[in-house]
Amino acid sequence: MNAQGELALVVRGARMQLRVIGALIIREMHTRFGRHYMGYIWLYFEPLLLGVCIGLIHAWRDRPMTFGPFEFHAVGYILFFVFRGILNRATMAINMNRPLLYHRSVTLPDVFFARHVIEFLSCTGVMLALLFGLFAVNGNLPESPIKMALAMIMMALFSQGLAFLAAALAAAVEGAERLVHALTYLLLPASGLFFLVEWLPEWLEEMALWIPTVHLFELLRDGQFGSRFHAQYDLAYVWGWIMITHLLGLAALRITRARIGLE
Amino acid sequence: MLSEPSGRPLSLPEDPEPVPRPWYARFWQRPFFLLVILPSLIASFYFYAIAAPQYVSEARFVVSSRGSDGGAQAAMRGMAAASAFGGLGGGMASSETNSVRDFLTSLDAVMDAHGKLDLVSLWQRPEADLLAQLWYSEPELLTQFYNKMVTVSLDPATNVTTLRIRSFRPEDSKALAETLLASAEALVNRLSERSRNETLRVARQEMELAEQRVQESRAALMRFREQERELDSAGAVQAAVTLRGQLETALAQARAELTERLKFMRPDNLALQATRNRIEALERQIAAERTRHTETSAGGEGAVLARQLAAYERLMLEREFADKQFASATASLETARLEAQRQQLFLSRIVEPNLPVYPLYPRKLVSIASIFVGLAIAYGIGWLLIVGMREHAA
Repeated sequence: MNAQGELALVVRGARMQLRVIGALIIREMHTRFGRHYMGYIWLYFEPLLLGVCIGLIHAWRDRPMTFGPFEFHAVGYILFFVFRGILNRATMAINMNRPLLYHRSVTLPDVFFARHVIEFLSCTGVMLALLFGLFAVNGNLPESPIKMALAMIMMALFSQGLAFLAAALAAAVEGAERLVHALTYLLLPASGLFFLVEWLPEWLEEMALWIPTVHLFELLRDGQFGSRFHAQYDLAYVWGWIMITHLLGLAALRITRARIGLE
Repeated sequence: MLSEPSGRPLSLPEDPEPVPRPWYARFWQRPFFLLVILPSLIASFYFYAIAAPQYVSEARFVVSSRGSDGGAQAAMRGMAAASAFGGLGGGMASSETNSVRDFLTSLDAVMDAHGKLDLVSLWQRPEADLLAQLWYSEPELLTQFYNKMVTVSLDPATNVTTLRIRSFRPEDSKALAETLLASAEALVNRLSERSRNETLRVARQEMELAEQRVQESRAALMRFREQERELDSAGAVQAAVTLRGQLETALAQARAELTERLKFMRPDNLALQATRNRIEALERQIAAERTRHTETSAGGEGAVLARQLAAYERLMLEREFADKQFASATASLETARLEAQRQQLFLSRIVEPNLPVYPLYPRKLVSIASIFVGLAIAYGIGWLLIVGMREHAA
C-alpha cells in the first residue's frame, strides 16, 4: 500500500513536471524571439543559415571528395549546432530564469529540459529540411535515417549532461561561462565535424576516438553515406559519457539549487 | 521505496514502528539492492557457475605483394608516409588487406566455412550455456553471431591483420581459425591470379596477332615462289639486266666492227654480211628480252619480270614488318610477365592459429564490474529524476 502510494505520487509528479516543461517551452520561445509570429522563424533559420554557409565555404574551397563537401559539412554542422546551442546557452540559463525558481513547482532541471527540447526539435527540423533539399537537388537520400536520428538524440543527451555541469559550474564559479564559450570554440576542430577518422594518420586516429563527439559524427556519416567509407564508432563508450555526465550534472544541479535557495 | 541519501525512509512518518531497526535488516528491500546489487549478484552467479568457458584462438597474417616484400617494410613505408604527409597520411593499409578483412566478415566467408566445418553445431556444443550459444541456423543470423565470435582487426600501421576466434572447445577454435585462414588464402590467390591474367591477357593477344602475321607473310612468300618458280625475283632481275648489258655490249661491238669494216671493204663482202647478220640477231634478241621483261603483250604474258618483282618486293616488305612486330610483341610480353610477377599477392602467416589451453572468455570480473557500475550510475540518474518528479507533486 505504501509502495502504491509512492508510485501514485511519482506519477502525479511526472505529469506535473511535463506540464511545467511545456509551459517553460512556451515562455522560453517568447523571451527568445519576442511575441511576433515571425520570430519563431529564426529558430529554424539560424542553424540552417550557418550550416548552409559552412557547407558553401567548404564546397568552394575543398577539392572534390568521394562525397560532396557541401552535404558533408552542412549536415555535419547541424549536429554540431545541437552541441553548441545547448552548451553555450546553459551557462545563462540559471540567471535568466532565477525569478521562476521562486515557484515551488519549477525545478532547475525543468528549465534545462525545456531549452533542450527546443534546440533538439529545431535542429531536427532543419536537418530534415536540409536532407529534403539535398534530395530535391541531387536525388541523394541518406542511407540510414535511423542512424542519423540516433546520432542527433545521443548528441542532444551528451550535450544535456555537459550543460548541467556547465550551469552548475557557472553558478559556483564567477566567469566560468566565458571558459565554456571558449572551450566550445576550441573543441570545434577536434569535434569530428571536419574530418572522418579514416582520414587521420594512425597516431591521431586513436586520440580522436577518445573524444565522444567524434563517435557521434562517425555515426551520423555512417547513416548519411555509410557504404562509401569505413566508419569507426563505439556507441557504448558514448553512452558511458552520457550516463556519467547526467549523474554528475543532475547531482550538481541539486547542490546548486540548495545554494541559490540560501541567497 | 525511495530514500534520501541520509538513509531515512521517504514515506510519511505514519509508520507505527518507533523502534529504529539496524540498516541491514531491511536492506534487501531497498531499491538499490533490488535494482543494482541483485542483478549484479545474478550476473556473478551466471558468470561463475553457469557460463561455459570460451577458448580464443588467434592468428595473424599479412597480405603482401612481391614488390613490397613483407609486412615489416610496408610498416616502415606507412610510418614514413605518415610523417612525410604531416597530417594526411592515414589509411596506408593496402586495398587488398581491406578486401581480405571485408571478406572475412561477410556472409560469403561464413557460408564457405559452414560448408567445411558446420558452424551451427560448432557453436551449439552441449557444453555451451544457453545465453552464449547460437540459437539460429539462418545464414544472416548466423553471420551476425559469427561476427560476435570472430573478430578481424587490421592494424593500419603495420598492415598486420589479427583474426580471433571464440568457441566452446579449444580444438573448434583452432579448426575454425585454420579454415578461415585457408579461405582467406584462397581469396588472395584468386585476386592475384585475376590481376596477373588481366595484365598478361593483352600482351598475349598482341603476341598471337604478331605470330599469325609472321606466319602469313612466310606462307605468302612460299606460295609466290612455288607459283612463279623463282627463288629470288630480285636476283632474276639482276640476271636479266646483266644479260641485256652483255647483249648491248655485243651489239655495240658488232656495230663498231661493221663501221670499221665498211671503211676498207666493199659493201657486198661476205664477211660484212656475217656481221650484219649478227647485229640483226642481237637486236632481235634485245627486243625479245625487253618485251619479255617490261612490256605487256596481247597474250597477257608480258611484263612478267616487272610484275614478279613488284609482288616479290611487297611480300618481302610484309615479312620485314611482321618480323619487327613480332619482336616488339615478344618484348612487351616479357615486360608484362615481369610486371605480373611483381603484382603477385601473398598471404603470409605470421602467427599460426594456436590451440588454446586457458579459456579467456567470458571475462568474468570485467563484465560483472561493468554491469555493477552501469546499473549504479543508471540508478543514480533514475533516483535524481524521480526525486525531481516527486518535488513537483509535493
